[in-house]
This record gives sequence, C-alpha cells and structure tokens, in this order.
Amino acid sequence: MSGPRRETRPLDAAALARLGADAVARARRAGADHAEACLESLRSFTVRVHGGAIESLQQSVTRGLGLRVLVGGAQGFVSSTDLEPESASGGHPLDELVRQAVTLARFSTPDEANAFPTPAEAEDDPPPDLDLVDPALLELPAERKIEMALTLERVALACDPRIRRTDGAGVVTRDGHAVLVNSNGLMRVSSATTVSASVTPLADDGAGKQQTGWYGMVQCRLDQLEDPEAIAREAARRALARLGARPVPTARVPVILAPEIAAAWVGEMFEAFSGEAHLKRTSWLTDRLGETIAAELVTLVDDGRRPRAVGSEPFDGEGMPTRRSVLIERGRFTTILYDHYHARRVGTRSTGSAVRGYASTPRIGPHNLYVEAGGESPEAVLAQVDRGFYMDDQGSYGFNPTTGDYSYQAQGFWVEGGVKVHPVEGVTVASNSLDMLRNVAAVGSDLRFLGSVASPTLLIAEMTVSGT
Amino acid sequence: MPESPPDLSSRLPRELAVELLTLARAQGADFAEVYAEHSVVSAFVLEERRIRSSEYSRGQGVGVRAIRGAQTGYAYTDGFSPDDLREAARIAACIARDAAPGGPPRVFAVVDAPPPFTLTAPVALTLEAERKVEMLRRADAAARGHDPRIHEVSTGFADSARGWLVANSDGLWAEDRHFLARLTVTAFASEGDVRQHGFAVGGGSVEAAYFERERTPEQVALEAAGVAVTLLRAEEPEAGTYPVVVGPGWGGVLVHECFGHGMEGDVIRKRSSIRAHQQGQQVAAPGVTIVDSGRVPFSRGSFRLDDEGTPAQRTVLVEDGVLVGYLWDLLNARLTGNRPTGNGRRSSYRDYPLCRMTNTFIEAGPHDPADLVGTVKRGLYCRNLGGGSVSPADGNFSFQVTEAWRIEDGRLTAPVRNATLTGNGNDAMLKIDGVGNDLVIEGSTGSCGKDGQWKPVGVGQPTVRFTGITVGGTRA
Repeated sequence: MSGPRRETRPLDAAALARLGADAVARARRAGADHAEACLESLRSFTVRVHGGAIESLQQSVTRGLGLRVLVGGAQGFVSSTDLEPESASGGHPLDELVRQAVTLARFSTPDEANAFPTPAEAEDDPPPDLDLVDPALLELPAERKIEMALTLERVALACDPRIRRTDGAGVVTRDGHAVLVNSNGLMRVSSATTVSASVTPLADDGAGKQQTGWYGMVQCRLDQLEDPEAIAREAARRALARLGARPVPTARVPVILAPEIAAAWVGEMFEAFSGEAHLKRTSWLTDRLGETIAAELVTLVDDGRRPRAVGSEPFDGEGMPTRRSVLIERGRFTTILYDHYHARRVGTRSTGSAVRGYASTPRIGPHNLYVEAGGESPEAVLAQVDRGFYMDDQGSYGFNPTTGDYSYQAQGFWVEGGVKVHPVEGVTVASNSLDMLRNVAAVGSDLRFLGSVASPTLLIAEMTVSGT
Repeated sequence: MPESPPDLSSRLPRELAVELLTLARAQGADFAEVYAEHSVVSAFVLEERRIRSSEYSRGQGVGVRAIRGAQTGYAYTDGFSPDDLREAARIAACIARDAAPGGPPRVFAVVDAPPPFTLTAPVALTLEAERKVEMLRRADAAARGHDPRIHEVSTGFADSARGWLVANSDGLWAEDRHFLARLTVTAFASEGDVRQHGFAVGGGSVEAAYFERERTPEQVALEAAGVAVTLLRAEEPEAGTYPVVVGPGWGGVLVHECFGHGMEGDVIRKRSSIRAHQQGQQVAAPGVTIVDSGRVPFSRGSFRLDDEGTPAQRTVLVEDGVLVGYLWDLLNARLTGNRPTGNGRRSSYRDYPLCRMTNTFIEAGPHDPADLVGTVKRGLYCRNLGGGSVSPADGNFSFQVTEAWRIEDGRLTAPVRNATLTGNGNDAMLKIDGVGNDLVIEGSTGSCGKDGQWKPVGVGQPTVRFTGITVGGTRA
C-alpha cells in the first residue's frame, strides 16, 4: 500500500501577508476606524489505520481570513474561507466581507478599551527563533507517514495475545503560516509544523470484557516524536495493565495524579488565571492575587517561547510578543494573564496571551502551560503512599470553572505499601482545586511535553475516591 | 443580516460533478462522492452589560471522498474553483491504486423525501440583528433582576444556515438546507466567598417566533439565574453507590453516551463495541425502549436528509430491553450488508461522514414521575446534567451533574453541588427500575463530538430511576 503521489502546498506567507494588508486597506476604505486581519493557511495530512490496512487518508489545504473592525469604538468581526479574487456575485469578496464587518460593528457597544496594538506597544527585542518549523517534516513523504501508522498498530497487536484488536492508530502532520496585520502598521508572520501519532489497543480478558489503552503525543518536530514502536508498546502496556480492573470502596485517601491527569487538571484551572475572569469576578481565584494558594512545591508557568514546543508562537493572536509568565511561584499566585482588551481595562500591558484561529476573535488562552518539575522520581512519589489511589485515566467532564470543584470518573490502580496492587475502574475522584493545590505533597521529576499542557506526577495528600 | 444560502447546483453543475466522480474513481475506487456546502453563522455576545462582539462567519467548499473496500480517501477545497476541485478528486482517488477506473457515475436521480417538519420563517433568514441584540438585553435584565446575588451575566445568540449538495457514483443527487438558532445564558451568583453559575439554553431548528412564543429570553435567563442562586446553598454530595433518579429531557445524554455510541455502525462493523455481539439480547431492563430518530420536530438533531443523502428515519435500537437494531451510515451499511438508517453525518465539507446519532431517547414508560422519587429512601435526584463522555470499547462513562437534589424519604431536601455520575455502560441500562410517563426530547442544546467532528444532536428521556449509580463527591 502506498499513499497519494500528489502534494498540495499552502499559500506562501508572503501571499497571505499581501491578502491581509489588502483586507485591512479595504476595511478602512469601507468606514472602519481600525481594522485587523488574521489569516491562516494550513496543510494537513491524516492517515488512520485499522486491522492492518489504511482506513482513511485525508489531505487538505485550508485557508481562511478573520477580520476585526472598530467603528466608533465598537467591534465587528467577520470570517470567511472564500478568498478567491472573483466571487459569484461579481464584486471582490473582500469588499462584501468588510461591509458586513462595518455594518455589524454598529450593533456592538462602543468601548474605549477596544483597540489593536500599535507597533510601539508591541515592541519587542528581536524575537528569538523558536525553531517551530521542521524541514524534515515538510519533506516527509506520505508513504513514511502511512508506514508509521501501520507500525503503531502492528507493534501494539504483537505485544501480547490478549491484544486482539485496536480502535485504530493514526498519524497527523500539519504545516502552515499565520499572518496578523492591523491598521496601526503592525504585521506579524509566523510558520509552524506539527506531527502527532497515537494508537488505541484493546485488551481482552477472555470473558467478554475489554480494556482500552491509549498513548500518543503531538510535537513540533519529527525527532521529538517517540519512536512509533515505543508509543505502541506503551499503549499496549496501558491496556493490559487495566485487565481485571474493579471498583474500590469509598474512601478519603492520598491520590497520585499521573502526568497526563495532572496536566488535564492544570489545563482546566487555566481560566482562573485569565484577566477576563478576574474582571468579571467569576472564578474561584477572584481577589486572591498575591496570596499563597498552593503548597510551596508548586510553580505553574505559561510560556509562549519554549523552543520547539507546540504551544509556542513568537507573537500572540493580536501581534503582542509572547513571554514566559509564572502564574504560581512556589505556592504564591503571582500573575494574571491578559489580552490587549482586558489589559487596557485594568491599565496594564497585555501578557501576550491572546489566542485565536482565523475564525474567531482573540480570547485569553494558554501557550505552553505546565507545572515545573520537582526533585522526586515518580517511583519515589509512589513509594510515599501507604494506602491510596494512582489515577491515570479520566472522563471528559468534571471541572467547574466557577468553583474550582473537581470530580472526575477515574481509572488507575489501588496502592498499598507504595505498590500498585490492582487496577481500578468505576470510581470517581473529587475535591476542590484550592484544596488540591494546598494539598500537593510531592512533585515528580518526570515533566514531559506530549502536547502544550504538561505536568510531572503530583501527589495530592487527600481526595475522595467514590466507589462501592 | 438575513441571507439566503446560494444555489449550490450553479457552483457545482452536474457536468462538473460527473467529471469529479469519474476522476475520484480513476484508480479503481468502488464508490465516490462529492459534497458541496455553504454555511453562514451569525453571533452576538453580551457580557458585562455590553455587546462585546457582533460576528459573522462564512464557510464554503467542496469535499471529495473515494472508497475502496473499507478504505476512504478524502480531500477538500475551500471555495469552488474547478481546478482545485479536480485536484481534490485526484488526491482522494489515490486511496485505490492501479485498478481499473470505475468509469462515470450512474445517471443522477434526485432524492425525494418528506421533511420531518417545515420552517416557514427560520431565524437565520428572517430575524433582524436588532431583534437578536434586544433578546440578549432582555435576558441580561431578567437574570440580573431575579436576585441581587446575580452579579454577572453572559448571554449569546447564534444562528446558522447551512445549504449542501451531495452527489455520488451510485447516481444519488441530494440537496438540503438546515437552520439552527440558540440563545444561551450563563448567570453568575455570589454570596460571601461562595460563587456559582447556572446555564440555560433555548433554541433548536426553530421558527423565529419560537423565542416569543415557546421559550422567551426571560424564561431562559430565569432558569440560569435560578440554578446559580440555588447552588449557593448546595451541599457536597455523598460519595458512594446508591439510587439515582434522572429528570426528563437533557438527562437523556446518559443514554446517548453510555448506550448510543456503542450502537454506531463503525464500532459495530469493527466489533470494537461490546454491542456488536448483543443483537437479540437483553441489554436494558424490561420496559426500556430506546430510539434514535432524525425526525423529531424542531430539534437540532433533526433533518430531512443526512449528509450522505439518506432520508432521516426513526430507528428502534432497544425494544422492551432487547437489542433490535443498529445505526448505519452508507460505508458501514454497505460493508455489513445492512440498509443505511440516515445516520451518515459530517461536521462540514472539511470532514468525511461518520456514523452518528441524531435524536436519541428513552421512550415514555408507565410510571408517575412523582412516584419514582417518592419511593426512594435515600438517593440523588438529578434535575439537569452537564457534559458526559464514554469510552465505547470498555464502556466506562461519566456525567457532570449541574443541578441535583438529595432525596430523603421520598422528598427532595437539599440542593447538591459538584456531583459526577459514573459507571459502566455495559450494565447501566439494566439497572433502570422505573421509567416515567413524562418524555421530553431536548433539542436545543446538544453537540456531540466524535473523532474531532462536532454535530448538533437531540437527547431525551422521561424521568428514569436507576437502582444504583456511583456518585462522585467529597463527603465520604
């Protein structure tokens, strides 16, 4: 089996920049006081395999434009994928769009804080090269990607006779450019690549019960991706380890959050650090800036400038320079994150935290969000638990952003005497984020980035495991 | 600014469709399909008493799919440039290699099917922006006026119009339009150090008049504000496994997640769902009937034709506790020798169709809902659930509960916060011991995610009682 011979290319960055400048100029002529265009061109390739054969191949080039205008301080926004110079209606499609944007703005409330950064406001030292484009990935032939996906599944199946099938394996690559241009004369162009690989083996206990294992990651560069055989073996190990899982009685015990589970919690907590939530007073961290909110072991960072990291970008979705922000420093809540609008509301400078795609207005979001590594190996963390729960999988919903309440369906292992004694399913794990932060009793040394949100292993001194 | 979807057959004329389908089978694919779409979304957001943003988005393009056996090749273009479309067809064709070309498609026959309901004045075509913004202001005022402890309100109104056309190598030609509208309100309450929020929704595939006649901005706002204020005095749930009564309507998300996903044709064909082996078996308690129907009036999950051109239908999945039917899209139906059930859905032209639910619900039963609560000595009543998820292969599911009450001696005694329900879908439907006579299908809210594609769905149920579900909480 071999893949498509044909390759398509995204619009080059220069063409995208010309299109953006044109859109801004047209918006100004149509009556916008200020205008800002955000454009993306993205090439993607997806292969999914199942049962030893390709299940699907998907290849595409996406492009789109988002345009914000300010008219009398009120904001209108339009987006479109139709960037062809000639439209069916005869006129230039951009003119139709900018008219829509200007018309829409009059429905919005004029707001002095609405503004786009000026080049002076967005001034930055020469931005570092974050090394976000992998030439090897751009050149990687489709056949190699297909072979990687087939290997992921084949190796997972070969690990153990109890792994009789998988729910598929996949490899996805993306590369593209983004352009941000505004009527203050700011222009930003960036490019990036990503590659992701994952497999979902199913282990069968021979009595009609299946267990799912999943492992995978997304990285900027091919050489950051674990070997497909290693990914497959780890996924298979996870599925096999779950065989025989059973609930445990309800108890309040120490809980170890495996790195991916800790990362998921950190990702949910992000909103509490956003300037928007603080202005609206809608989060569980309202009025707590400067206070000690976590154990001294905890340092939480959002970093837009980690080299070769999938959450990195030199500039944010409004063209402001990104940076490294310490949100919790050794237990103390030190930083609230802002985009340009919310920063102006409180009279401060944007932290470069505006995230967006072309199809949406900017919002405050994370870049690479992580808990700094501690000094103990994950084995040493486990050894501290005399009787407790090791959580390494969860349901999708269970976090309340207003209260910080945490309550997730959980899978993992019962721990006694520092050893995992049997797999567990059918339980939930609950607490409140403030209690959890204060109760962090150990931080592992095993920080790894499998995506843009990461954490080492965390030990929480007490949570409620709800079971039988 | 109301706007009518353009006539797609002028952007993708039949001769071009024939050419693309021929190209897509040039390397031996058994089946090819071309799908063109134009969609517009209009959205207004009110926060902190201001209309923060007024937004309009347009997406249009064409996707080409080629299938050989169980293998799919897919490519798409943004826009309708014929050269780009030919390139997409050639890329999709590469899923098959070195086999004889499939030739041109069969002569097109237009699919004709009756609509499940008719919209005379859909929101996207008739409601002026001024009216939408006014609704947001009304909702904001109503929520704030409900109680002084409501200190912040976010409301949003969004509507969409999606027109599409699909043609395939079997000679199918289908066109349809789909209109959605949704008003959302999040109300934030605080008292001392305690903060809570409540969320409510109105909408569906509805007439513009719906927001005046059936569910007004004030009604949606008061529901959200009421939940937020009630939760201020909510207690932590008791952790453990005990009887749970789930209220009518959105509670049906439970049957969607912990049963419906395992009934979708892809996981049945691949036998990765435990349900693949259970045809004819008792999978739910006697008296439980589970249905998926794309024909529920005015629901988000309804349509005349699915995104492959198959007419929507009503499919009984479980009859009186026994598994009697599965859901099928074209690909999985063809590979298993079944008839498609109108469940082939895609989130846009950028994605190929998957087998998806439409409106999934438990049919009404015989019980008075008051009796289902009244006979519980100690348990939890879930008036509303939030999000839920399931792993179909192992059956583990969970739901966030947004509004719950403690049941003591048959009465609702205290509101409960932060509860999560969990269990295994393999046996959850067997633990039902009472089905109410008060079926509600909630067609304003649901979006279901699968393989990265999001689709509007409806869910529903009457009041349903489970003998025991594991409730997550902090009180051990």
